[in-house]
Amino acid sequence: MSEDVVILMISVSTLLGTIGLIALIWAVKTGQFDDHAKFVDATRFDNEEDLQAAIKLEEKKKERREEIEARKNYRPPD
Amino acid sequence: MTQVPCTHCNLTFSEDVMIIEDEHYFCCKGCQGVYHLLNSEGLGTFYDKLGDTKLQPAIQVSGDLEKFDLEGFKNKYIKEHEDGLLEVNLIIEGIHCSACVWLNEKVLHKTDGVMEATINYSNNKAKVLWDPEEIPLSRIIETIRSIGYNAYPYDPALQEERAAKTRKSYYLRILVAVFGSMNIMWLAVAHYAGYFSGIQQSFKDILNVAEFILATPVLFYSGFIFFRGAYYGYKNKVVNMDTLVASGALSAYIYSIYAMITQRGEVYFDSVVMIITFVLVGKYLEVLSKKHAVDTLDSIMGSTPTEVTVLKENVKSLVSVENIIIGDVIELKPGEKVVIDGKVTTGQASFDESSLTGENEPIYKKVGNDILSGSICLDSVVQYKATADASGSLLTSIVNLLEESIVKKPRIEQLANSISGYFSTSILVIALLTFVGWYFYADNFEQALIVGISVIVIACPCALGLATPMATLVGISMAAKRGILFKEATFLETMAKSDVLALDKTGTITEGKPSVLKADLLDGFDPALLLALVNTSNHPISKGIKSYLKSEYNVLSTLTLEEIKSIEAKGLSATYKETVLLGGNAALMQTSDIDIHMSTDSENSLFFFAIDNNLVARFELTDTIREGAAEAIKEIQDLGIKIVMLTGDHAQSAHKVATQVGITKVHAKLLPHEKAQMIDKYHEKGHVVVMVGDGINDAIALASSDIAIAMGNGADIAISVSDVVLLDEKPKGIFEAYRLSRRTFRAVKENLGFSLLYNVVAVPLAVMGFVNPLVAALSMSLSSLIVVGNSMRIKRLKFKDK
Repeated sequence: MSEDVVILMISVSTLLGTIGLIALIWAVKTGQFDDHAKFVDATRFDNEEDLQAAIKLEEKKKERREEIEARKNYRPPD
Repeated sequence: MTQVPCTHCNLTFSEDVMIIEDEHYFCCKGCQGVYHLLNSEGLGTFYDKLGDTKLQPAIQVSGDLEKFDLEGFKNKYIKEHEDGLLEVNLIIEGIHCSACVWLNEKVLHKTDGVMEATINYSNNKAKVLWDPEEIPLSRIIETIRSIGYNAYPYDPALQEERAAKTRKSYYLRILVAVFGSMNIMWLAVAHYAGYFSGIQQSFKDILNVAEFILATPVLFYSGFIFFRGAYYGYKNKVVNMDTLVASGALSAYIYSIYAMITQRGEVYFDSVVMIITFVLVGKYLEVLSKKHAVDTLDSIMGSTPTEVTVLKENVKSLVSVENIIIGDVIELKPGEKVVIDGKVTTGQASFDESSLTGENEPIYKKVGNDILSGSICLDSVVQYKATADASGSLLTSIVNLLEESIVKKPRIEQLANSISGYFSTSILVIALLTFVGWYFYADNFEQALIVGISVIVIACPCALGLATPMATLVGISMAAKRGILFKEATFLETMAKSDVLALDKTGTITEGKPSVLKADLLDGFDPALLLALVNTSNHPISKGIKSYLKSEYNVLSTLTLEEIKSIEAKGLSATYKETVLLGGNAALMQTSDIDIHMSTDSENSLFFFAIDNNLVARFELTDTIREGAAEAIKEIQDLGIKIVMLTGDHAQSAHKVATQVGITKVHAKLLPHEKAQMIDKYHEKGHVVVMVGDGINDAIALASSDIAIAMGNGADIAISVSDVVLLDEKPKGIFEAYRLSRRTFRAVKENLGFSLLYNVVAVPLAVMGFVNPLVAALSMSLSSLIVVGNSMRIKRLKFKDK
């Protein structure tokens, strides 16, 4: 067994592990495990209706952003 | 009669009292309203999600909505975002299951102007983001109330949030540490194999570099906590556990780099990560059991009005509490909380002073009487003249006192901390001496350095670091299973050292509510009529009679009364189909010229009931002592603990209760801050005091005691200042808490003793240079395991009733 193989094996496995670790850290940091119940409920209650509601909420936010944008760029006709 | 569940809240009632609509049954108008609202909004699937879970009936709360839009409220609770959105943190009341969370979120999302609403199921806390141009906060709260829940604000910048943040940061550090140590371990296996059977230097180099790469983030990211601790220790000239861990890990790390580069000797990277990981886990266990909620004052201040109605030249206006000056005339409506002290000028009303004295009996006040802030006006409109401004009022001074006592709450020096201080210093000194000794003895710098480091590594702070948290964590979980919630692990140790127990009377030794002791029933008595009458009042006596009637008579039909009147401080009157019902005390009977041909002389509260001016029943009510109180007090006294009673009630009834349960020392007629002074007096004498209480009036005393125990259904404030909560409210729980804390403390001492003994054996070996990396790693894990095993033995503690 040559040194190269050992280096390759160690580095690849460590790299894969690190990717997993980073994903986990990201999930913890963004609060995805804060509410343990919600995690389960999300799958239990998931249906089309809720997706619609989520989209509507997104649209509401977008609309507001656009409105603010429009107000900012508003120039009275001279 | 058959029992049917309410379509909305699932509580079961007999069929004839329900509101029937198509095939649905509703227990009240509120539930019916919510049901229709949800269906019309297309949220009817809520009931599928709800299943069989029981909810609170949807009681419609109204009023006081304006306060959410006031300037004072905004400054206190609302955060403004850059893009003009406002954010508020709310606690939602009435959430029972995940379906409730779902419903609240959906309803808020459907509301125009609400941009974001997330509710945490575990703690019922919600964050709402909304656009103030589209909707005021009061409308949002109204929406939540319209579906049968209630919401009140809280300030998130408090200790609880900070504690959650620390926990999270520890968690991340542990993730990295565990990842690093796991990976280094399997590289180390190859290393150890090579140590015995020979390994080519080139492979050894590869392993060394890989271990180095893995160990670096563990030492500097996960181990940052120890470096920080060591730095603070250095600044305060204290050698602590962190100093030992940081110096041990760092020197082993530097030496390993040296060995790696020069390709001579063994690397110690695995020891570096092991130490960091083990001690970090120990620290995490401590952080994990830190107090959850210290948001004490919010529950008082959150419920107090920020504005009051002031009468000036016959014009009513809302004035902010801060702007009230002495002499202003303030109008109080029924149900309002007093925030400013004063003297009644017109009107008369009963006041609930339970938050000040702990007694539930309302107090009748007329013109000229003093009104204390913190009490609640119960039944009519009263005008009074302010005798103090906001900052001088009793309520504010109580809150201030409370804040103060929480900050300077006595903390007993923790055993482990003091031991580890001495331990760390001696190990560091021994390591240094070893290095110097070997340097002169063997005249070899490298070898001297290895031996010196091995002393620090083998001294293994792991077992010492795990000794306390492991034992207390087991103790806490044992207590939790018995309905005793310790909010922080260290409280077990403090409680084990306590020698004085202070008990509140009402609500702690006694049930805190009157119950019927004796009932004399005469001809013509109709329990259904009496039930209907007492149902109209919230007076504790009425409630006592109500629960008595419910337990004595199985099913009573519900009758609708007319002309219901509550007669101040005397009783109630009403009519039912031409018959006049009258219920109240002896004075009420006398004023109505009813002949009471029975004794009116009793040390208990009396309640008379008359139908058409004929006396038909006489009840004697008293506050009953909790079950098992006397035995528990006896057992605690047998442990050698002195028990005193502190109560706001008058001396006579205090002594009566005290003799019944076997307490000899009683302090009666104490105001909230006087209770705290009593506790302080015991402190001055060098006692460690445990205080048990349940009410707002106990809060200051609870906060100034060493360990505060609150009853599970006590006032929110009492629970939040307390260190221990008794969920099942049995006095026996206090005794069990004592036993458990003493057993746990013993385990802590055993663990510390063991890890010190281990060091007494291992350190001399290391000093003599007999220790190699394999032995160090093995003994390290083994000693930690023994500590864990010993802590588990606490679980074998037996309680009688099990």
